[in-house]
Amino acid sequence: MSTLTAVRLPSARLALSVLAVVTFLAVAGGTVAPHDPLLQDPDLALRGPSLIHPFGTDYLGRDVFSRLLAGTGTTVVAALESVGVGLALGVLPGLASLWLGRTVEWVLLRAVDAVMTLPFIVFAIAVTGILGNGLSQAMVAIGVLFAPLFFRVTRAAGLSLTRAHYVEAAELFGASRWRILRTHVWGKVVPTVAVTAAQATGGALLAVSSLTFLGIGVQPPAPTWGGVLASELGFLSQQPWAPVIPAALIMVAVAALNALADAIRPGGAA
Amino acid sequence: MSSSLTRRSFLGLGAAAGTATLLAACGDGTVAGPGGTAGGTLKWGWSTVTSWDPVTSSAGWDVHLLSLVYAGLTKLDEKGNAVPALATGWKYDAAGTTLTFTLRPGLKFSDGTALDATAVKKSLERGRDFPKSLIAAQLANVKSVTAPDATTVVIGLAQADYQIPNLFAGKTGMIVSPAAFEADATALATKPVGAGPFTLTAYVQNAKATLTRNPDYWDAANIKLGGFEAYPLPEPATVVAALQSGQYDVAQIPGSQVEAAKAAGLPVQVIPSLVVAVLDVNIAKKPFDDPKVTEALRYAVDRAALLKTAQFGHGDVAYQPFPKGYAGYSNSLEGIYQHNPDKAKQLLAQSSYGTSPVEVVITTAKAEGVPEQLQSQLNAAGFKATIEVIPQAQATQLVYVQHSKALFVDQFAGRDSAVQAFQVLFGKEGLMNPGRQTPPELADALAKVSRTPLDDPSYPSVLQAATAVAVKSMPNVFLYSVPRILARRANVSAIPEFTAVQRFEGVTVS
Repeated sequence: MSTLTAVRLPSARLALSVLAVVTFLAVAGGTVAPHDPLLQDPDLALRGPSLIHPFGTDYLGRDVFSRLLAGTGTTVVAALESVGVGLALGVLPGLASLWLGRTVEWVLLRAVDAVMTLPFIVFAIAVTGILGNGLSQAMVAIGVLFAPLFFRVTRAAGLSLTRAHYVEAAELFGASRWRILRTHVWGKVVPTVAVTAAQATGGALLAVSSLTFLGIGVQPPAPTWGGVLASELGFLSQQPWAPVIPAALIMVAVAALNALADAIRPGGAA
Repeated sequence: MSSSLTRRSFLGLGAAAGTATLLAACGDGTVAGPGGTAGGTLKWGWSTVTSWDPVTSSAGWDVHLLSLVYAGLTKLDEKGNAVPALATGWKYDAAGTTLTFTLRPGLKFSDGTALDATAVKKSLERGRDFPKSLIAAQLANVKSVTAPDATTVVIGLAQADYQIPNLFAGKTGMIVSPAAFEADATALATKPVGAGPFTLTAYVQNAKATLTRNPDYWDAANIKLGGFEAYPLPEPATVVAALQSGQYDVAQIPGSQVEAAKAAGLPVQVIPSLVVAVLDVNIAKKPFDDPKVTEALRYAVDRAALLKTAQFGHGDVAYQPFPKGYAGYSNSLEGIYQHNPDKAKQLLAQSSYGTSPVEVVITTAKAEGVPEQLQSQLNAAGFKATIEVIPQAQATQLVYVQHSKALFVDQFAGRDSAVQAFQVLFGKEGLMNPGRQTPPELADALAKVSRTPLDDPSYPSVLQAATAVAVKSMPNVFLYSVPRILARRANVSAIPEFTAVQRFEGVTVS
């Protein structure tokens, strides 16, 4: 099934619709928020949903709906940042390991093996401890840990192509490596990388939410999905329903990315 | 931390229940004869300590756990008055410069060595002279300690100071076994040897401290508990569930959980304490090197709003270091820096910064809550505030030792002696005076407090005058009092309500 056909699937359409909304909120979330996400009103603290505050208010009387909208951009951009870093550090070395000889292959495989042993969140916390508590630092760290995923996927996709007849024919005709990669390999590898990127973005969203939940990367009072979830959890006895909203938002976005990845995977969901 | 009931604790509970049943059959359900047996282990969700050595402990509220394993010559009663402990009594000379304590006979440390006048002398001298001592400043006035006989300790003071009995009721006066610190002083950080109501038997740093009853404690007859387990402060969101499940018998809970605890059927005690939330302001650092900015800060803070959010209304707005009802509490200071953002703006306009927003960094160990609210309040009053989060483990070093932060969101745990509290908050060497400056008029007022006997009718007014001088001349911004809110399971008897150190005499677990 082609990628174009796959996106016509109901699950893919639904996922794309969700992601379109998330993308819109990431771009315009702060401007469409009905209230200033930082505006405090302690007299209205921990109020339930109402017409004015659809998701209620937090412990400082801030509008939770507005905070979630305003936090979308930070959360999504951070997730894309880490996936971008992973792509940059994973795809090209993955291809390089196939065409630049055994020494390069051996070194890259060992390096990837080493990086794969590192746990995501702990590594990100350590990096922010060393480089400073910023979301970019944390997401670069997460991106570095995504790189082995892209490396291996790219390498696996390209491995069969190195011995393909048309590639060998191109080599016999004197085509350069760059030309072979560009015209004969890249097009075959991209769909697999795209699927992986969609899945990785879902994972990155969870990683961003986890880190901001722990107070790493984004400093309060700046809103993020994970940050809103963390603050709501502190007042479970007053508003046991409140953490469900940011948690559901994270869950839906991640599920949409996974559903899309499933749909566009070669031979994927039918 | 495991929330489940371990096999060992289950067996322990079973054994305790069996013992209680046997004792009940004999009469009183929880009996403890003098130095005899007792039953029940109390699991306390409270905090762990920075060190089990009172001389090197760096946190004010370590005193609560340390008082389980150490005893002093005196202790404080519920009202904060010094009463006999290891000493049966004390007497000042006419000049107030010599203080003679009489010890109880036959006292022992938990290592079995004798706790006599010589041991007291060595322990106090170590607190004063040990190079790494964090209580040395409080003992600087102690010129000499002599032990003319086994039960008499004579304290020679450089200047008259009637605060010593109160001072000795806290960390400063905890008596440590000389045999222990002469053998290996560093080991005391994890293996304390004192003569308190309990003995530490196991300790996992930042996780759990296990203590058993000390039958040789001078007041063992009033210690009904057979053991004690102390855990770090529980998570606010889960503390009520942890109490219900039996993970803790007693826990300190935040104001936000009071209603939830009551709804769960847990008895809740809101105990007035000496703890007060405060901003440590460094007047040696910009922008607070400008007095107008420091003054503006006092008016920029809406204490009532902070109290409502942070404590859910439990406690009082504070403009001074002492709570209402304490001898040093001055009525004249009530409302002195009432929230007035317009006045704060005016003061900032008169400062060297003019009308442009004054940049200030709020340093804290946790950004959520008060720091966020403070940032909003300061921004509304002409400041441009940002929040800087530092790890709790580094706060002591960065704020108290290096004095590298201009504004730190802090809590003052209170001290047993009013003068000691002044020294910590306002003294030139005070931990919470990062600017290291003390005006002469405050030093004079404090000297007068020290010279005034605590039973002198003029003592409250002298102390209140010193409080007024401190609040008006020092940059510390007091925010609100922090009562000790304890929730407990129904099988635990009421916890005695001490404003200073929490004590557990008479407490039972059935």
